[in-house]
Amino acid sequence: MIDEARIIAQLKDDSQKEKAFNTLVQEYQEVLYWQIRRLVISHDDADDVLQNTFLKAWLALDDFRGESKISSWLFRIAINESLGFLDKKKRSIDISSDADGYLSNQLLSDPYFDGDETQALLQQAIDLLPNKQKAVFNMKYFQEMKYEDMSQILGTSIGALKASYHHAVKKITDFFQQND
Amino acid sequence: MNEEKLIMERFGNENPFRVPDNYFNEFPQRIMKRIERQKRRRRIIRWSIAAMLAGCVLSTTFLVDSFKQQNLPLEADNSQYIEDELDYSMINNMEIATYLTEAE
Repeated sequence: MIDEARIIAQLKDDSQKEKAFNTLVQEYQEVLYWQIRRLVISHDDADDVLQNTFLKAWLALDDFRGESKISSWLFRIAINESLGFLDKKKRSIDISSDADGYLSNQLLSDPYFDGDETQALLQQAIDLLPNKQKAVFNMKYFQEMKYEDMSQILGTSIGALKASYHHAVKKITDFFQQND
Repeated sequence: MNEEKLIMERFGNENPFRVPDNYFNEFPQRIMKRIERQKRRRRIIRWSIAAMLAGCVLSTTFLVDSFKQQNLPLEADNSQYIEDELDYSMINNMEIATYLTEAE
């Protein structure tokens, strides 16, 4: 666990900025990567989005005023980058391909996916959710994040997040009822 | 939540994804190199803009100087024409109408 106050002070000091940022990358790369990977699915895309997340953070360091935790700030950038990536991707591919089991087939041939058919199917069900709902579901279901922390990251009220998670769970169970 | 329990019982919440070997060991070095490249690029862009602005200032100064040198005598020749123009522009519509009526 890093000392937030100390790292913020180092980030504001030009002579220590790069070293402090390197510490940030080492500390948060994994947790951010998994958040991104669950949204964009492929490793190559997750790698691109993670790089963009840290580059954006580096360029915006002067704007970080310490009003929120560094981790929340980085998560926010990562989620925004991931959602932006998904929007762009959605515009460029045939949306109906999702419903045909395109994603689960793609996952089963992915060398960086160790899951079985059932898990690939769960990923396909999640992939059919609207992008922000997908982020909410992943944060709560897989990362077991508290609603308070999610609220800070996504800038959404706790009530709205609970409703969004409830809808996501409902849609996923409906998907399996239709496909079983 | 009952439905959440159903999903959890059937699928669990384990991570089915993995990363290439050494990915997290190598990532910090990769991103720091990219940041270094970006810093260098920004420095070059900043210097190029500064050089371009300096070039603009210099060429504008040069153009103004040469324009002044070439146009000084012309200004003197044109002064009568400019005075005439000023006189005509002070004639109002009524005067023009009167002039035209008298001409008929």
